[in-house]
Amino acid sequence: MKVALNEGSRLKIIINVLVISMALYGVSKRDVNVKETTIFENFMLDTLAPLQRGVTFVHHQVISFFDHYVTNVNASKENIALKSSVGDLKQHIFSLEQVEAENKRLKKLLQFGEDLQRKKILAQVVAWDSSSDFRVLRINKGHSDGIKLQSTVVTANGVVGYIYRLTDNFADILTILDPNNRVDVLINRTRSNGILEGYSGWRCMMKYVTRTDPVRLNDLVITSGLGNIYPKGLKVGNVSKVERESYGITQNIEVAPTVDFSKLEEVVVLVAEGNQRKKLEWQALDGGQAK
Amino acid sequence: MMRIRSSEIVPRLFITILILIVLEVISSAFLPLFGINKYMIPFNVLIVLFLGFKLENPYLALMIVAVQYCHSLFTIEGWEIGTIAGVTICIVISYLRDVLHFTSSVVTIMVTQLFQILWFVIVSSLLYLKLGSFDYIVEKFWRFLPESIVLSLMAPFFFSVLDKVWGVHNEGLMGDNT
Repeated sequence: MKVALNEGSRLKIIINVLVISMALYGVSKRDVNVKETTIFENFMLDTLAPLQRGVTFVHHQVISFFDHYVTNVNASKENIALKSSVGDLKQHIFSLEQVEAENKRLKKLLQFGEDLQRKKILAQVVAWDSSSDFRVLRINKGHSDGIKLQSTVVTANGVVGYIYRLTDNFADILTILDPNNRVDVLINRTRSNGILEGYSGWRCMMKYVTRTDPVRLNDLVITSGLGNIYPKGLKVGNVSKVERESYGITQNIEVAPTVDFSKLEEVVVLVAEGNQRKKLEWQALDGGQAK
Repeated sequence: MMRIRSSEIVPRLFITILILIVLEVISSAFLPLFGINKYMIPFNVLIVLFLGFKLENPYLALMIVAVQYCHSLFTIEGWEIGTIAGVTICIVISYLRDVLHFTSSVVTIMVTQLFQILWFVIVSSLLYLKLGSFDYIVEKFWRFLPESIVLSLMAPFFFSVLDKVWGVHNEGLMGDNT
């Protein structure tokens, strides 16, 4: 019995050491820029993501049911008939309003960046990352719709992030709110260059801006076009706080994104063809030199 | 203590993972519909803690890998950091097993909260090594507080459900050692 116990403990120690070593190796080798998915992960994500979309759909249906039917249960027959017809009409108007609002949003999205030389793909947000440590969105378009890894994701208001993980029918966006996402940006007024990183809450931090640069509150922050992911000139946010210490060579700039992430429903994925992305970066560099 | 054959582990782990998937779908798709984007309930932590508290098995680390891998399908966090935290905590629990008793809901809540703090410390240390930003850890801490409290309050009910799944009797441990 004692021998069996020892063998059990030995096996446990070996498995624990192996698992921890594998996990530590995985953490050290983990790529923060993109995550290639395996065939199994592809299959699992494509199977599970529709469940998330299904929950969203069921939620809307249940809300609609409670709003338009259950509240009328105790009314008189006439009232039921009248309310039902009024309800139907309201529902119809509501649907039309929703369609109109959606049309406006989509038109605005499509008009946005007409001059951008990239293929635009509209997508709907279906879920958020299940860990609050990461600011990641899942959309209902994937590889089969033409989306590629590291494609830029925007709305009419500005940059959302880039495609981090991709399956045939779904994609995960690493938003600019995530500390793992770093965007090369410019202050539009002063042309000061810096790196934008996700920070606490719904804000970002612009780093490496020289202390002497006269950055002001509400200055517009745009993408610089460097870094091979984001095209030049996209709105990112506005300066919401500037901290200059009496020492050091840089200043701390807090940026409030122009995109309202709490109300994000649709996004546009900008897909660059072939080597176009590299070409655009060269153009951005040339533009910078010209200035 | 109950004895469990390795062949019994697979179906029970499968049911546990199904429960995790349902909870992850609720957490990632249902709660954001009510505007709860900032806080996410990490149900994987509760499952890993349950496995650590109630199971004494050489393959525990592999079970944690399976749970964390399924969790990684819903987050870009990956399976690695949670696995390191989970296995480390299970090693700590194995040394404290004699003093850990889940005699009442209050004790379960307190013990769960205590080990969640340990989980937070391990994960934060690894994230600090990776990101080099202490501000991020502070911000994470303020999210951790409400999330962990909700999770601890759910622990007695959640553990009783998992007790049934794994066939663990009150105060019992499931393991190869009898």
